[in-house]
Order: sequence, then C-alpha cells, then structure tokens
Amino acid sequence: MAFPHRLDAPELPDFSMLKRLARDQLIYLLEQLPGKKDLFIEADLMSPLDRIANVSILKQHEVDKLYKVENKPAVSSSEQLCFLVRPRIKNMRYVASLVNADKLAGRTRKYKVIFSPQKFHACEMVLEEEGVYGDVSCDEWAFSLLPLDVDLLSMELPEFFRDYFLEGDQRWINTVAQALHLLSTLYGPFPNCYGIGRCAKMSYELWRILEQEEDGETKGRRPEIGHIFLLDRDVDFVTALCSQVVYEGLVDDTFRIKCGSVDFGPEVTSSDRSLKVLLNAEDKVFNEIRNEHFSNVFGFLSQKARNLQAQYDRRRGMDIKQMKNFVSQELKGLKQEHRLLSVHIGACESIMKKKTKQDFQELIKTEHALLEGFNIRESTSYIEEHIDRQVSPIESLRLMCLLSITENGLIPKDYRSLKTQYLQSYGPEHLLTFSNLRRAGLLTEQAPGDTLTAVESKVSKLVTDKAAGKITDAFSSLAKRSNFRAISKKLNLVRRIGTDRAAVLRLLNCSELAFTDMTKEDKASSESLRLILVVFLGGCTFSEISALRFLGREKGYRFIFLTTAVTNSARLMEAMSEVKA
Amino acid sequence: MDCYTANWNPLGDSAFYRKYELYSMDWDLKEELRDCLVAAAPYGGPIALLRNPWRKEKAASVRPVLEIYSASGLPLASLLWKSGTVVSLGWSAEEELLCVQEDGGVLVYGLHGDFRRHFSMGNEVLQNRILDARIFHTEFGSGVAILTGAHRFILSANVSDLKLRRMPEVPGLQGAPTCWTALCQDRVAHILLAVGPDLYLLDQSACSAVTPFGLAPGVSSFLQMAVSFTYRHLALFTDTGYIWMGTASLKEKLCEFNCNIRAPPKQMVWCSRPRSKERAVVVAWERRLMVVGDAPESIQFVLDEDSYLVPELDGVRIFSRSTHEFLHEVPVASEEIFKIASMAPGALLLEAQKEYEKESQKADEYLREIQELGQLTQAVQQCIEAAGHEHRPDMQKSLLRAASFGKCFLDRFPPDSFVRMCQDLRVLNAIRDYHIGIPLTYSQYKQLTIQVLLDRLVLRRLYPLAIQICEYLRLPEVQGVSRILAHWACYKVQQKDVSDEDVARAINQKLGDTPGVSYSDIAARAYGCGRTELAIKLLEYEPRSGEQVPLLLKMKRSKLALSKAIESGDTDLVFTVLLHLKNELNRGDFFMTLRNQPMALSLYRQFCKHQELETLKDLYNQDDNHQELGSFHIRASYAAEERIEGRVAALQTAADAFYKAKNEFAAKATEDQMRLLRLQRRLEDELGGRFLDLSLHDTVTTLILGGHNKRAEQLARDFRIPDKRLWWLKLTALADLEDWEELEKFSKSKKSPIGYLPFVEICMKQHNKYEAKKYASRVGPEQKVKALLLVGDVAQAADVAIEHRNEAELSLVLSHCTGATDGATADKIQRARAQAQKK
Repeated sequence: MAFPHRLDAPELPDFSMLKRLARDQLIYLLEQLPGKKDLFIEADLMSPLDRIANVSILKQHEVDKLYKVENKPAVSSSEQLCFLVRPRIKNMRYVASLVNADKLAGRTRKYKVIFSPQKFHACEMVLEEEGVYGDVSCDEWAFSLLPLDVDLLSMELPEFFRDYFLEGDQRWINTVAQALHLLSTLYGPFPNCYGIGRCAKMSYELWRILEQEEDGETKGRRPEIGHIFLLDRDVDFVTALCSQVVYEGLVDDTFRIKCGSVDFGPEVTSSDRSLKVLLNAEDKVFNEIRNEHFSNVFGFLSQKARNLQAQYDRRRGMDIKQMKNFVSQELKGLKQEHRLLSVHIGACESIMKKKTKQDFQELIKTEHALLEGFNIRESTSYIEEHIDRQVSPIESLRLMCLLSITENGLIPKDYRSLKTQYLQSYGPEHLLTFSNLRRAGLLTEQAPGDTLTAVESKVSKLVTDKAAGKITDAFSSLAKRSNFRAISKKLNLVRRIGTDRAAVLRLLNCSELAFTDMTKEDKASSESLRLILVVFLGGCTFSEISALRFLGREKGYRFIFLTTAVTNSARLMEAMSEVKA
Repeated sequence: MDCYTANWNPLGDSAFYRKYELYSMDWDLKEELRDCLVAAAPYGGPIALLRNPWRKEKAASVRPVLEIYSASGLPLASLLWKSGTVVSLGWSAEEELLCVQEDGGVLVYGLHGDFRRHFSMGNEVLQNRILDARIFHTEFGSGVAILTGAHRFILSANVSDLKLRRMPEVPGLQGAPTCWTALCQDRVAHILLAVGPDLYLLDQSACSAVTPFGLAPGVSSFLQMAVSFTYRHLALFTDTGYIWMGTASLKEKLCEFNCNIRAPPKQMVWCSRPRSKERAVVVAWERRLMVVGDAPESIQFVLDEDSYLVPELDGVRIFSRSTHEFLHEVPVASEEIFKIASMAPGALLLEAQKEYEKESQKADEYLREIQELGQLTQAVQQCIEAAGHEHRPDMQKSLLRAASFGKCFLDRFPPDSFVRMCQDLRVLNAIRDYHIGIPLTYSQYKQLTIQVLLDRLVLRRLYPLAIQICEYLRLPEVQGVSRILAHWACYKVQQKDVSDEDVARAINQKLGDTPGVSYSDIAARAYGCGRTELAIKLLEYEPRSGEQVPLLLKMKRSKLALSKAIESGDTDLVFTVLLHLKNELNRGDFFMTLRNQPMALSLYRQFCKHQELETLKDLYNQDDNHQELGSFHIRASYAAEERIEGRVAALQTAADAFYKAKNEFAAKATEDQMRLLRLQRRLEDELGGRFLDLSLHDTVTTLILGGHNKRAEQLARDFRIPDKRLWWLKLTALADLEDWEELEKFSKSKKSPIGYLPFVEICMKQHNKYEAKKYASRVGPEQKVKALLLVGDVAQAADVAIEHRNEAELSLVLSHCTGATDGATADKIQRARAQAQKK
C-alpha cells in the first residue's frame, strides 16, 4: 500500500551525526561548570533536549536536579545554577530576578546561562541593565538542527514565523545561515541553490559570507546533496492554512505532534493512562500510513490487522521446533507491530469521532470551494455561521484568512462584518490580532477594482507552464481524492524540480534567486543530484512534507526537509493571535 | 681542502671549537665599544649602542646618541637621547629595545628607533635610583630585573604583562653585590647574587644562602657569573681565577678550571650546543679570549680589538669594531666528515663524490667501501646534516652534491630531508646576506621557526624578501603572503607624506582580494595614526561588514556603521550600533535615524516591547503611527491597567488614535468595547457574578443562562447584535438550560433566520428526541431529509427524498439504512431510483 521507493532513489545522508555533535557540545558546556549543579530548562527546549540527551546523560555530568524555567521563584538549594534557555528577554529577567533575590539574601552562587542556539546582544543588555551581568557567565549551545526523522530536520524555532513575518525581526536569519553552513561543512557543498522570498535571499547571502570566511574547509569535498531550495513561508500560506488530510497531518492537527512525538490521551489508548509515541520512520506501521490520505488509512490498518492475525495463526500448525523459532524470532516483532497497530487504530477512531462532530465534510467542502474560487457567498456565510456559533476562535480565523488569501482580500463589506462578528464572539482583544494579520498580509481588504483573484492568476500562469503541467499529472491521482489539490497548487515549489529550469526562472520575481556552481556540479555524482534539501523558512506542514515525499517517489528523487519548525494552520494562527496576558 | 680544519681548535679529546667570520663590519663607530652601553639581541638580532657619557665624569653637555645597527653593521636607526640616564639596554623577544633608566622608567623603542611605550619599575626606585639592570628571556617573554640603590631586587617576568615583584631583602647586605644574575627555573624567575664569598638565591618569598657543590676552597669573592642560554647551567668566576661550572641549581658540578688570571673578566658566557655533552664557557678580558671546558687545557685567542660577546643557542657571537665572528663547537656531523683521516661514511662519500668529479675510478672504491659496510644511508644523512651547519655556500653545495650523489645509489631514500635542507639553506643564505644581516645558524633557525623569522623580516620592513620566502616555501597564503602584505599595508598607512587616495589605491592594488587580509586591521592602524579619512576608504575594501562596524563606531561614524551593520545581516551588530547611537544622539535624532532604517527600527521595537514600553510609545508618536499607537493602548488596557476607569481611559486614547489613523472600524470597535466594559461593570454590581472581559456574545449568553432575558435582549439591541447570531446564541443557551418550553416559545416568536435544522441538531445533542421531532417538521424542504435522518426517522426521510427526486439525498438516506428494520425503506429507494432512471 505504501509506495516503495524507486530502486534508483539515492540514499539519505546520516543525520545522526548532528545529534552527536549537539550532545558533545552540551556535555562540554556542562563540564565547564564542574561539580554538582541544578539545571533550569526552558519549556520549549525540553522536548528537543530530550531527543539529544536524556536525564541519565545529564546526571552523568553532575546535573543534580532539573527545573523548568517559569515565572516562579526557584527552590533550588544547589550552589551552582545552570540555565538552558532560548535567547529571550523574558528569560533574562527571570535569571536576573533569581540572582538579585540571592543577593538580597546574601547568598553567593555560581550562575551560568547557556543560550541555544545562540546568544543575542539584547539579552546581555538586559542582564547588564538588571545589574547582574558580572555575576552570570554566558555561553552558547549551537544546537540548531534536530533530526526529527530520517529526512526531516527541524530547528525547533516556532517563533521564527512571528518574529520575521510579523515583526520584521531578522535576527533568526543568522541562525538559519549558520545551520546551513553546518550542513555544508558536514555533508559537502551544495552545487545548486534556489530560493523564493526575501528571507530566503537574506539567509542565502549570509550563508555565503560564512562560507567565504571559512573557505578552504569545504573545498574539494564531494557534494552529497545536489540541490537546495530555500522557501519563505509567506510565499504560500494557502497550503498551510488548509485542513490536512494525510494521516500524519491529521494526527498533528488533532493531537499536536511535538518534537516528533505525540501524547495519545486515554481516548486513544483506551486505558486510563496516556501514551507518548515517537512518530518517525522507525515506527513501521506509521511509516506506511503517514503519507496516506485519511480515507485510505482505515482500510490499510484493517488489512494489516488481518495479516497480523494470519501470522499469529501460523503457529497453530507448528511443531515444537518451529514454535521455538517463532517465539524467539518473530513473536517480538509481531507483538511490537500489534501494539503499534492498536495505537494507530485508536488514533484513527479518535480522529474520526472528532471530525464527524465538527462537520468535517462541510468544512472540507468550504475549503475546496474557496480554493476553486466558486460559491464565495456561500462560503462567506458558512464562515459567518462558524463565528456565530463560536465553534473555535482559531478555526474561524483560519477560514477568514483562507478566504482573504484566495480572494486576494475580502470585499470591504465582508471585511467589516466578519471582523465585527468575530470580535463579538471571541472578545475585543482580537482587534490586535486583526491588525497583526493585516500586517502579515493574511487578512486584508480588497483594493477596489481588483477582480481577478491572486491564486487564480498564479495558477493560470502556472498551468500553461509545461513542466508544471506534468507535475500536476503526477498529482492527479491524489488530487482526485480530495483537496490534495491544495498541495498541487503549491506548484511554485514543485514545478521547479521539473526539467525545464529556464522556463521556471522566467516566472521568478525579483526577490528570487538561483545559483549554480558549475565546478561543484561537475564533482557531484548523479546520485547526489537527486538528493534535494528543501528549507522552509517559517515552518512547513506535514502535508507539504508528504506531498514532496510522494513527488520524490514518483520521480526517483529523495527530499530532505529543513524547517524552522513543523507547523500547521492552528499554530500559524496562534502565532498571529494576541492573547490576553 | 687540507686546511679546512685549520680553524678547528681541540678542547680536550672529544670536541673541537671553531671560530669563523660572519661579517666584516664597516660601521663607522665614533666611539670605542668600551665607552658604550651595548645590547645585542640573540638569534642574530640587531645591536644597540648608546655612548655612555655618564660613566666618564664629564658634564653631560653633549647629548648621547642611541644607534641601532643590524648584525652586519648596517645602520638601522640613530637618535639623540633626550631622556634620563640609562643604566642598561636590552632587547626583548619581540626585538624591542628596552632602555632602563636610572629613575626606574623603561623606554621601549622599535627596531627603527620608533618610540613604542614606556613603563616604570615602581615608585620606590624614584628615590633610590637603579644601580644595575638585566633584561632576560623566559618562556613567557622578556623580563627585567633591577637592583635598586637600596640593594633591593625588583623584577618583572614579562614586560608586556607588567607585574612587578619585589624580591625579599638579603640579610646583612651592605654594599652592592659583586655580581648577580636572573635565573629562570620551573617557570619562575629567581635572582642569584654573590656577596663576597657567599651566594644567595632570591625567590618570591625567601632569601636562601647556597653553596655550589664541590667548589674549590679559598674563594673569597665571586667576580662574574654566567647562565647558559637555556638557564640550565651556571658558571662562576672567582677572585682566584678559578671557574666553577655546574647546573643552575648549584647541586651538581660539571667541571672546573683554573685559569690563573685574577683580573675580573669583562664578559663570561656559555658556549654550548643543544644536545651536546660538551660544556664550555667563553671568558673575555680586554685582549684575551679563553674557551674553558672539561679539559686541562683551554683554547686561547688574542683579541686585537675591543670585543663584545653575544651568547647564542649554539655558540657565541663576538663582534668588534671591524669584525663579527661566530664561535661554536663543531657539530658531530661536520666533525665526522672533516676530521683529519676520518673514515666516517659521510667523509668517504664526500671523497667519492670529489673523485667522481675528477673522473677518477677511486670514486667507485670509496662507494664500495661505504656500501660494503651498509652505511650509505647514514652517509647521505651525514652529508645533509653537515651541509646545514656550514656557513659558506660553497661548502654547503659540495656537501649537498655529495649527498645527492650518494642518493643515486640508494633504492629508497625519502627525498624530503634533502629537499627541506636545500630550501632551508637557501632561506638562511638569503637572510645571512650582508644587506639583511641576520646571521642565523641552522639550529637557531629551527628553534626560531619560519613564522618568527618572517615576523622579524617584517619588523625590519623587508617585505619583498619575506614574501619571496613565503612563496618559495609555499606557505599557505593566510599564514604567509597575506600576513606580510597586511603588515606592509599597516606600515604604508603610516607614510604621512602620501595622500589618502594614493595610499588606499596602492594598498588595494597590492592586496586585492588576497584571502586572510583584514582591511579593518589596516584601517584601524590608519585611524591610530590619525588618518580617519584613509581609514574609511580602506574600510570600503573590507568585505566583512562585521569587521567594519566596530572601527566605524570608534571613529564616531555611527550612521555609516549602522548601514554597514544592516548590510551584514548580523542583528547583534545592528543592536550594538543602536545602543551606541542611542547614547550618542539625542532622542529625536535617534528616532529619525531609526526611521530611515526599517530593519533596525523593527529590531529596536522588539527590544522596547519587552524592556522599554514608554520608548515604544514615543517611537510610534514620532512616526505619527496612530494605528500602532492605538494597538499599543489597547494592549495597555489589558496588560497594564487594573482599574476599570484606567482601562476605559486607555481605550479612549486608543480610539482617538484609531480615528487619527482613519481606521474607523477599529475606533468604533474600541468604543463599543468601552461601552461593553462599563456595562459589564454595572452588571457585576447589580447581578453579581463575573461579566468583565467576556466577549459580547458570552455576556449575552451568561445573561440568558442566568435567566435575565430582558437584560439580554436589551444588550442585543444596544449593541445591534445581528438576528442570526442572537438566534444561535439563544438556541444554544436555552438548550444548555434544557428550558424546552422557553425554546419552543422562542422558536415561535418569529420565523427563524437560521432555519430550524439547528434546532433539531441541538435537541439531538441534548438527546431530546421528542423535542427534536417537533422542530423537524418545521425544517425547510431542502434540509428536511437531513433533519429527519437526525431524529432517526429514516422512512419519512426516504419519502421526502423520493418526493424531491434528489439523487444525493437518496444516497444519503440509503447510507443511513441499517439492518433489517430499514430493509423496506431501502427497497423503496432503490425502486424510486430505478423509476427515476427510466424516465
């Protein structure tokens, strides 16, 4: 059922090296503070840290107790405190308050702040302003790339989206450039680079500068990855805002996958305890259904269950020896598979229950209509009803944005009335949310005289493009099934892998770039040229990942994904929302 | 070749010492050496002379002249000495001249007589004066030790990181010690001094009397002491003409010698090679030079002129008015080869090669002899090594030729030692040249390393030679050529007579994009010389903006720095500049600058949002950004204000701002919110419960749930809640209350704007099928099927669907048909379908 990869598909590079690097560096930093110490970890860093170094490793390096960084006074009695935080001003205030409280109490302790992935001058400024700069030693843990899966690297920087696309804050771009630099030192230079968007361009340029400064190291290395694509999230909000229909995406939408693992509650496990499941290619069952349209998943799972039963049943006709063999070799695997199967079936049921309750069909239909650009009035009133019924503030917002983007802005009357309705339903503080959304271009008012909608014009331009046409064909099988069309609309990503690169470049705007280093390309083997690194600046969804995996299987490419964070429509909307403090 | 060993002098049985001329000096010395303070740097370094007028009782009417010469006697600098009385001169490891003055001040000069800096050896010395001073070298750098007029020692182990250490007092010391020296043991500097027959060792904490092991009796005074180059050995000269040589710890005696000369020697220095067993000391009197070692006889030389000894790693340099010579122990390889009647393989090979050139068959005989002993490899190695130790190029050549000849008869001889020796010799010969004047021996060169040698060439401004050496040795650009070019450029910017444009162009032409050259360093140097404009021009060539910014800030070009920082994309850099600007400019100008730099502005805004809210407000005010100002006040109304009046006031300010921003919608919404807040407050007062901060929708819902229907309707009217919303709201609220009676009343109050399907749905949600059925009948025709299915009336749903002849509805009903109970219905539908198809 899951598509096997074509035989000539290239092997993926081994990314576990990144984990080892990060772990070694962290240990080194911890050892810089000899003796017993308490470690304060920022909540956002807990899951990534868990993937790099578990508690026992930390204990080995004399970490005594672990605390979460939160707005509460610490109760630690250790003489040495170590803080592992993101470079945020809020955290600096926390550290400063701790140090100052100790000073008042006449206590002297050692403090060390480890910034991940890098230190910002503003943070040191705050420490200085609070008068504790001299008491605290600062360090950097350059942990910017977490391999979540064999083909997925995440920087775990969800704030990238808001900071860059809303606040115009470019400080993370340097981090991205450094991550790319790290990749190119480990896995050889990239012969071909492409990018769409301003952020992509800036990242690329900064990265180039870094490479030049340390020239000579990567020289002469054979490239392992042939192409790199840098994409700004704001190039395509549509895909990210659509409901996800592949299994992995749905699991993310429903249960929220956090750092590659998900907490299945009692309703899934059908016991009273919740279960933490790691979702990656090692989970064999999951690996086969993750990229599937949800409607197929049930069928597949039941087929799988039958196969499993058959394998269990085999033991009936066995003699002692065969039985021994079976128990010692196969049974464990079968048991494991059994367990996974039951987890995923539980998850499916739970998703089904939730989706039918929310009238998923209607929702999908509306989204579909929005994407196709028909029945706008009906869709608008559907959204209105959605708001009136207070279904969910995030969902309502998502639909409004989707409407705005597909229609190239709302017509003034709708713009006002929808906003009024929304404020009445979900509270007036969302006035700020709307102001944010407008700034990010997600929810705007139509300029008078603008009739042809943006997406329509984009798509019509693309469909005439030969290369793009081919790829749409590749998608048609999936597209028929559902609104996978949304993804095929993301042709501005997909089309360029097609052969006709020149035609593609014609379509690119000023802010897009393409860079090919012929000397490097010569060295690249044909194998590596079919390995493609796609960098999403501002996050990507599991649907997008699935779509590219599918494309890769069809065409014999392998894609590697590097994203600032795995995101979905809800996370995007939450990033834009103003919540009362 | 017979006379090649003519200048070899045997000392004891096993060692030979030879002295050969390095240069004949044609420096035009006005004074005798003995009238001058002399300092010569080790490793073939420069020589500094300062005529010592203070020694003679003459009035200091004439100012002395400080002269610096290369080792070959070429003048490097000459300057009139204008400062105080100099006690001692010495060279630091970086080839800087340290002039220790009587008042404790130490002036530091460069090789070319350029004043670098000065430091003091402490206030104590100001009164007491300095009697004597020594400059010594440790592994950390160069140290200075002084003896004050109060007979106290003060030393600093490293002049570039000055830390003065006052040594403990020597008990009972009345006069100046007869001789003293600085020792360096276990990375700590000590002082060893002699007072009459006693020796004292001063370390950080204590003064201890020491006695050399095995010292001959009858000594009443030590006249001279010498420490070896490596601080490992010590030699003492006593008033009886007896010389004791031993380890620096004084615990072991190596040898002793009695020269029977009671006059104090002028100089005494060690002359030994690293890794050689031979120990020898060179002692110089006015006209006599003596090499003394572990042998009953000594080697004696007559000195025609005033001479000065310079201890080196592997020998002694001796210079006088007319010559500059080198005295050293003949290295083993050379000895083996050149010793008279030597049968060493190297000697035979050299002989064989010579015969070969003479086309004599003897060459073969010699070769055979070596080969029979299987010593050809050794022979080649010997020749290569010996070549390194030869000073004269013709000897180097003949030895190398022999080595190369021998190599031909070897199968596998790794060529790199030969090649490297050729390269090294070429470099050595180049720098030993008269014009360069650095007479390094091979061992010194290896000890010094090529990097340091290049530094020294750069220090002498011999840039072309340095570059040629780099290119010849194929050193990586960053370590080699680029570094030298950068130094050249730094020197270039100091040439004040050339215009800024010319300097900048010249530098750029030479340096181009050479990797590893930091234009910002050069610019910093230019700025240091007060050439700001040139510095800015040079910075233009710097490719890394990150490097440009700090210097620009230093030069007070903050605005330029800001744009460069932004170009670099490094936000930290931008932030640094911003903070700089903030302090430098007044608020208004600062904001104006920000306004033109959106990237910096957003960065600063982010910072203010967390740290300086008031500044943020000012920023928006400055820009007349009323939209953001409004948002700011709205946020304040939630976050900052507690009291309701304060919140309303904040909202009012926000609304005003929105009006100014022509955002009527936001203004209206804000005003609504103000009304709502006030109202919620009143509701709380009158009805109790919590209303504040609920949305309008929730407020109304809460009212209905609390049974205040009138109030709810009033509110809905006041805030013009659309009918649809009100219906949804009431419907949900009443269903939650399970107030079915009221719900029915409500449904009949007028025609529902949202239809009746939601009524059915909501009743079913509360599992009230009875109520649901009531509404199902009222559902409009297009949703009827759905409604009927919801209440579970499949049969009727089928009827309606058939009536509608709607294919989609039919299949929907069909999908709801389950089990036997609905069998009849299913059939019915199938039939209807078939009929429809017939038509």
